[in-house]
Amino acid sequence: MIGFYVLAIVLIASAVFTISQKSPVYSVVGLLANFLTLAALYVTLNAEFLGVVQVVIYTGAILMLFVFVIALLSSGIGPFTEGPDRLPRILVPALLSVAVAFGFLIFSVLHAPLTPMPEYVADPARATSELGPAGDPNVFGSVGDFGRALFTTQLLPFEVTAFILMVAVIGVVLIAGDAAPQATRGRHVARKPAAQREPIVKASK
Amino acid sequence: MSVDIGDYVGLSAVMLCIGLAGVLLRRNPLIVLMSIELMFNAANLALVAFSREWVNNAGHIFVFLVVTVAAAEVAIGLAIVVSVFRRAQNVDVDEVASMRG
Amino acid sequence: MTTALHYSPLLPTLWLLPLFGAIALWAFGPQLRRNAGYVGSAVVLVSFACALALFGEATLPGNPVRVPLVSWGPGFDLGLSLDPLSLLWTLVITGVGGLIHIYSIGYMWSDRAIARFFAYLNFFVFSMLTLVLSDNLVGLLVGWGLVGLASYFLIGFWFYKPTAVAAARKAFVINVFGDIGIMFALFALFAQTHSIAFNDIFAKVATFSSGFVLLACIGLFIGCAAKSAQVPLHTWLPDAMEGPTPVSALIHAATMVTAGVYLIARFAPLWSTSPAAQELVGIVGALTMAVGAILAMGQWDIKRILAYSTMSQIGYMIMGVGVGAYQAGVLHFFTHAFFKAQLFLGAGLIIHALHDEQDVRKMGGLYQRMPFAFWAMLLGTLAIIGFPLFSGYYSKDAVIYGVLEHGHPVLYGMAVGAACITAYYMFRMIFIVFFGPYRGDVPDALLAIAPAATAAEPQEHVAHAPDWLMQAPVAVLMVPTVIAGYVSIGGANSPWYRYFGNLFGGADTAPVAAPLIPEFGSTALVLVLVALGIVAAYVRYGAPAAQAAAIDRLRRETLVMPARLRYLLWFDDAIALAIVRPSQALGGGISRFIDPHVIDAGVRDVAWVAGALGLAFRALQSGLVRAYALTIVIGAACFIAYFAYIGVPR
Repeated sequence: MIGFYVLAIVLIASAVFTISQKSPVYSVVGLLANFLTLAALYVTLNAEFLGVVQVVIYTGAILMLFVFVIALLSSGIGPFTEGPDRLPRILVPALLSVAVAFGFLIFSVLHAPLTPMPEYVADPARATSELGPAGDPNVFGSVGDFGRALFTTQLLPFEVTAFILMVAVIGVVLIAGDAAPQATRGRHVARKPAAQREPIVKASK
Repeated sequence: MSVDIGDYVGLSAVMLCIGLAGVLLRRNPLIVLMSIELMFNAANLALVAFSREWVNNAGHIFVFLVVTVAAAEVAIGLAIVVSVFRRAQNVDVDEVASMRG
Repeated sequence: MTTALHYSPLLPTLWLLPLFGAIALWAFGPQLRRNAGYVGSAVVLVSFACALALFGEATLPGNPVRVPLVSWGPGFDLGLSLDPLSLLWTLVITGVGGLIHIYSIGYMWSDRAIARFFAYLNFFVFSMLTLVLSDNLVGLLVGWGLVGLASYFLIGFWFYKPTAVAAARKAFVINVFGDIGIMFALFALFAQTHSIAFNDIFAKVATFSSGFVLLACIGLFIGCAAKSAQVPLHTWLPDAMEGPTPVSALIHAATMVTAGVYLIARFAPLWSTSPAAQELVGIVGALTMAVGAILAMGQWDIKRILAYSTMSQIGYMIMGVGVGAYQAGVLHFFTHAFFKAQLFLGAGLIIHALHDEQDVRKMGGLYQRMPFAFWAMLLGTLAIIGFPLFSGYYSKDAVIYGVLEHGHPVLYGMAVGAACITAYYMFRMIFIVFFGPYRGDVPDALLAIAPAATAAEPQEHVAHAPDWLMQAPVAVLMVPTVIAGYVSIGGANSPWYRYFGNLFGGADTAPVAAPLIPEFGSTALVLVLVALGIVAAYVRYGAPAAQAAAIDRLRRETLVMPARLRYLLWFDDAIALAIVRPSQALGGGISRFIDPHVIDAGVRDVAWVAGALGLAFRALQSGLVRAYALTIVIGAACFIAYFAYIGVPR
């Protein structure tokens, strides 16, 4: 139980750290801490496979993506510069609305009754029957349990994820690839070197 | 067990709101995307907690989906950030306001 | 009082024919040109023939010819009904109207818009027929309004004359004022009886409270006063002489102005139950009679003399039907239609021959030059003053004595006095116009004629009509001018009284008091006063000495004309002060202040609000992502709050 509170504090602290740093690299580090802590929390919730997934995919892929993009954007411009603040008075309304949302969420957490599912009301023993030590391939939350569900009852979501990923790849290539050659379709025009092409976003607004 | 589900869900709520504040208050697009990731993870935490409470696999599958979608979304989001700010002077979300009425 | 349906196709025919005539003449006027006159006259004469053919059927007691037209609901049935009263009016309208149509062919011979004139005349005949043939209050009101419209058209026929346009407008506005009274009465009667048909209303008269009857009668009488030119709503009638002379003859002498008389006669059952209303009508009629006679004494325009005499005679009629002497009043309408049309048409002959000269001071000596016109005017004059054996004698005596019989000695005195004045001013006109030297070429200044007198009627003298077109109708009218009164010889057993039968109720119209003077005594008194009037006129205008010094006399009379007469007893000025100026001020105020600052400003402000709202909402579209995100978060917070609220038990 102490472990839970330690993990909770680290989680919150790293989240706050993430959003409050000026340099995005520091934010990425904070995010890393957040994800790892979250993986630990998953393990305490008997979701060991998801804990690993969290580490591998989130920290291993997504965070790396962030790091690479930071590197890409930093080249040739210098330290990250931000323009003038065009919405200086957003602080109070933002905090207010977030506080309201938070307040009501906590309120419902504290007061909403969690009604057990009908099968548990009928048979309370089931509530703990499937739990077991981690590593056992037949208990709740293990790889085997997860895989069995993924490929039998939840097959459709699995296929859909494949589709989503493919769409993402195509989208990324289209969006972030070289400047689209449609403008020169049918005409053979040599592309200007990168430095002479027009900026996508005009410099001064 | 003395840690009941309410604590986990409350924690999730806290993380969600922190992420929300980050989205609203930061002007660097990368930090905004990171805040969105925070919000995703808050949702994941809540899902896993409830999945454990009812001992039901579906929550885990849902988390899996969320992770996948989050990955895809981050990829595309970063691609957009890259293409928009590739040659910009400032990396500032407020600068892309050409859709103003 | 249900009558079996007694239908005849002649009735809708005679009613609608003038309408079709009017439409045809409106549509084909430019092609028809002068032939429009023949078409229009033929149409009206055919209607007259139909009415004559229906004479026997319409006079069956208690069983009028009835033609239901439209039924818009319970108690809202429109239809036509031809009973003795409406038959009489129909015969006069179509008969005298037909003669005037023929006369107009000659009179308007060289007018470019002759087809339009006959279209309007036919339309008038149709409207008047609608008024008298309706068996319900709504149809009557429709006819009432339409004759006002026709009058407006015809008074302002020469629309390029500003005086004619002003006169037409004045007539119309005053008539509309009367319409309000009738509409009020219509609403009140409908509310009480839930029916617009006369039969239903009369059947329930006994159930009305006396206050209600008085109110309804006052409403009806306001309409009568406007339409029949009673004091104080009479000011439009003299100005209506701006229209062509046939119009004055038909509308403002014989028919339209008698609509009020018709209304009161038709509503006899209602009026007979309210002595207060009858008293009111009698007094107003007597006042009109007196005012008209007095003002006629000081007029110099031949048509205005006749206009005021019309007003006075209608005062007689209204007074007659008002006090309850219905048969007498209607008899006077009957005879008056003939001799007044005669007088106007004769005056038209003179005006036409003198090339649109209407001022009597410039006439004179026409006895030799226009003998036919002289005899026509003389016959008409003798009739109107009540010379024995002429038609007017019988009808006037009937009215005057009827007033006395029904117990109104004061009104009787006024009537007798007015008879004297009538004789005076009519013979004044005769003497000035027909005797003495011809003054047509005397300069205006010598006769003290102000330059801006009533404008003469403009006629282009391109061609002249054959004389018989204008003289034949006048000749035809000479006959009834003399003999029309003979139908009433015999008192209560005369053909006249028997014609109406029980239409006006039996006991209600019987004499109420023992008269102060026996009938022959009253007749003698009136004759003496009439002779007095003639003698006075002779002394002032007819005697050889007076004729020799005519120019001087007329000039002096013009200069010393008392202000009362010159300004027409200030009725026009009073109305202008009390009603016209405030209305114009109100209209001016509204157009100067309310229009630009309230109405226009309201519209402008609505447009401004739309623009301001747009600008305000434009601020929401800043293009800034963070602002949009904030909006989303606020919405989400509201959602969360709502679901937290409903999901949590208390």
